Amino acid sequence: MTILWFLFKEGFKGLIRSKYSGAFSIIIIAISIMLVGFGYVIARDTLFMVENIRAQFDVDIFIKQTASRDDIAAFDAKLKKMNEIDHLIYISPEEAAKKFKNEFGEDIFDILDYNPLPPSFTISFKPIYRNLISVEAIANILQSDPVVDELKYRKNFLIILEKYQRIILFTVLGIFAVLTLISIILTSNSIKMTIFARQDIISTMKLIGATNRFIKIPFVIEGTLEGGLGSLVAALIIYGMFYLQNTYFQSFLDYTVVVSYRYYVALLILGTFLGWIGSRRAIRKFLH
Amino acid sequence: MISFINANCTFRKNAGVKNLNFSIEDGEFVFLTGPSGAGKSTILRLIYMDLFPEKGKVLIRDFDSTRIRDREIPFLRRKVGMIFQDYQLLKDRNVYQNVALALYASHYKTREIKSRVYNILNQVGLGHRVHHRPTELSGGEQQRVTIARALVKEPIVLLADEPTGNLDPRVSIELINLLNKINKKGTAVIVATHNYSLIQRVPGARLIQINEGEIISIT
Repeated sequence: MTILWFLFKEGFKGLIRSKYSGAFSIIIIAISIMLVGFGYVIARDTLFMVENIRAQFDVDIFIKQTASRDDIAAFDAKLKKMNEIDHLIYISPEEAAKKFKNEFGEDIFDILDYNPLPPSFTISFKPIYRNLISVEAIANILQSDPVVDELKYRKNFLIILEKYQRIILFTVLGIFAVLTLISIILTSNSIKMTIFARQDIISTMKLIGATNRFIKIPFVIEGTLEGGLGSLVAALIIYGMFYLQNTYFQSFLDYTVVVSYRYYVALLILGTFLGWIGSRRAIRKFLH
Repeated sequence: MISFINANCTFRKNAGVKNLNFSIEDGEFVFLTGPSGAGKSTILRLIYMDLFPEKGKVLIRDFDSTRIRDREIPFLRRKVGMIFQDYQLLKDRNVYQNVALALYASHYKTREIKSRVYNILNQVGLGHRVHHRPTELSGGEQQRVTIARALVKEPIVLLADEPTGNLDPRVSIELINLLNKINKKGTAVIVATHNYSLIQRVPGARLIQINEGEIISIT
C-alpha cells in the first residue's frame, strides 16, 4: 500500500515538477486532441451533407393516360410491396395541374382545353438502394409494367454524386487519419521530451535498486494525467468554439454543430489513452 | 563476498580491465588507485553490474555476473551502496526525499522509512538539513547525503567513485573519516581514487593498484 501510494503521489508530483516541459506537453496534447475533435466533426458533417443530397434523389413514374383507376390502384399496391421503396407519393392529373399552376403561374386549362398531365408516382429509395446500380435495376422492372408510360430520374446526378462522394469520403477519412496519426506522434514525442528532460531521475533510480516497474509507474501516471488534462483543455476549447458558432455565427454560416456529451467524453478518453500509451512507449526507451 | 575471477571487460577501445583476479571480504576497506583511465570505475561498475565481463565472472555474494537476469539487478543494487563524484542527487527533491527514495524503491513501510532516514541523516551530521534541497547544500554536505542514501538500505558494501573529486582537502578528510567510521561498523567500503593522501588516513586499508586495466599490486 505504501508503495502504491508513493508511486501515485510521485506521478502527480512529477507533473508539477516537470513545470515547463509538462505544461508544453499538455498544450501539445490539447492541440492534437483539437485536431482530432475538429477533424471528426468536419468528416462526419461532410459525409452527412453528401448523404442528405443523396436522400433528395427520387424517381418520377408517369402512368399511361389510358390506365384505369383499378390499374393505378394495382400499380400503387405493387409499389407499396417493393422493399426497396422508402417513400411513395401519388400525384393525380388534378394535383399535377395544381402543381403546374404553382410552378409556372398559369392554369393549364387556360392554355389547353383539357388536362394533358398524366397521373404519376414519385418514389424515393431506402438509403442502401440510393445508388446507380440499384436504381437502374428497379427502373427497368418498373418500366416493363404495362401501366407505366415513362420513368424520369436524374441519372447524371447519381453518377456525379457517386464519383464525388468517393473522392470526398476518401479525402475526409484520409485527413482524419492523418490528423489522428499526427496527434499520436505529437503526444508521444512531447511526453518523450518531458521524460528526456528528467533522465537523471531514471539513472538515479536504477542506481539505488529500483525495479523497472517502480521507475515506470510514476512516469506513466504523469503521462496519463498530461493526456487527461490536455484533452480536458481541448474539450473546453472545442465546446467554447461550437457554442460561439451556434450562438453568433449560425445564421452567417448556415451551419449548426450538433455534438452530444459522448463526443466530449470520447475526446477525454482518447487524450487520456494517448497519454497513457505515449508515456509507456517513451519510458520503455529510456529503461533499456 | 566479492570475487573477480579472470574478469575481462572492454567496453570501449583501449578502456576496460583485463584478467582481474581478486577477492574482497566482508567488512574490508579497500582503496582502488591508479591514474585516470586505469580502470578503477570499470571495476566499480562491474561490481554493481552496470557492466558485465566478456570473459570470466564477478561474484557478489549469491549474484553471479554470468547468470544474473536483468530483473535481478535491482536486488543486487539494494545490497550495494554507491556514491559518486557528481553526487547524482535529485535536485527537485529535498534531502529527506532523496534518501527516502532508496527505501521506497526497496518497498519499505512509511514508518520505517521515516525512522531510518532521520537516523542515518543524524549519523552523517545532516539532521538539521532534512528539508533543504541539494542546491542549497555545500559539496561536502551533498556528498554526505549520497552517503546517507547509500547507507540507509544497509548495504553489504559501499562503493565510492572519486568521492572527494569535487571537495576541498579539509572536507575530503572529513569524508574519508566518515567512510572509515562506517567501515568500523561492519560495512565493506571500496573507494576508487587517485588521491594518495587519502589512503594514509585509513590505516590497515587494503590497496589495489591498477594501470591500463591490469592489477599492478595488491595488498
